[in-house]
Amino acid sequence: MLMNNITLWVRRYVTVYGIIMLCTFFMCLLFNPTSELPVVTFFGRIMVFTLIALLSLAVYYSKDELTVKAWWVRTALHLLLLEAVLLPLAHFWGFWHGGTDILVYAGFILLAKALWHLVDYGLNAKTAAQINERIRKNRLEKRT
Amino acid sequence: MRVTVAEWVLGVAEAASGHRTICGWQEDTMHRLKLAEVFYFEVVDDRSFLYTQAAVFEAKEKLYEFERLCAGSTLFRCSKSMILNAEKIDYVRPSLSGRFEAVLSNGEKAVVSRKYVADLKRMLGV
Repeated sequence: MLMNNITLWVRRYVTVYGIIMLCTFFMCLLFNPTSELPVVTFFGRIMVFTLIALLSLAVYYSKDELTVKAWWVRTALHLLLLEAVLLPLAHFWGFWHGGTDILVYAGFILLAKALWHLVDYGLNAKTAAQINERIRKNRLEKRT
Repeated sequence: MRVTVAEWVLGVAEAASGHRTICGWQEDTMHRLKLAEVFYFEVVDDRSFLYTQAAVFEAKEKLYEFERLCAGSTLFRCSKSMILNAEKIDYVRPSLSGRFEAVLSNGEKAVVSRKYVADLKRMLGV
């Protein structure tokens, strides 16, 4: 069980880190293609962003199983929390400056969250396909 | 409750063969059910229920007691309040909420938390 949890959180960390990197790359490419970033500081900051994103997943914590409606409510809350924490921090670190920048950056946070859910869904679809294949094989073995 | 190693081994062997039984209640009538017949065990508002193909029985066991009882069988913990029989799963599909939906052979649906999917995979040999 502990190993399952460790694997799950490492997978989440790597996925979120990758998505933030991808979003940052496109943001720089579109709005600031000539910018030069100190590599160590930049990667360190992305790591902090990822850590915050994962810590904020605590909003999904519940003693009971979440209903679909409760999941959507918490997803909206999670997005608000991410925007509220990451936007000021990103501004402090000089990732955005002006009026339109904030909208674009907020949009990228939304995009990153949507992308994370999509990646998660894709991985789960793969797992479901593996399970279904095994169920089908077990059923065939029982028949023969 | 103290259990000797021999009793435990015997229990696991019984559970694996599906011969182990559990008591289910319908009003004042007690029914003896084979574990293999059980589709899932669920706790709702601190009351435990056993679901078979087409009937529902109340059970006296708590979730952790039932979980212990079905060790070595095809029943596995699938969420915070449910134990599901892997043999009764028709297919599973992912949901956007990051969990899985298991469609059972009687058409009912059960939620499988991602946390417990690894157990299902291990049980099926994936």
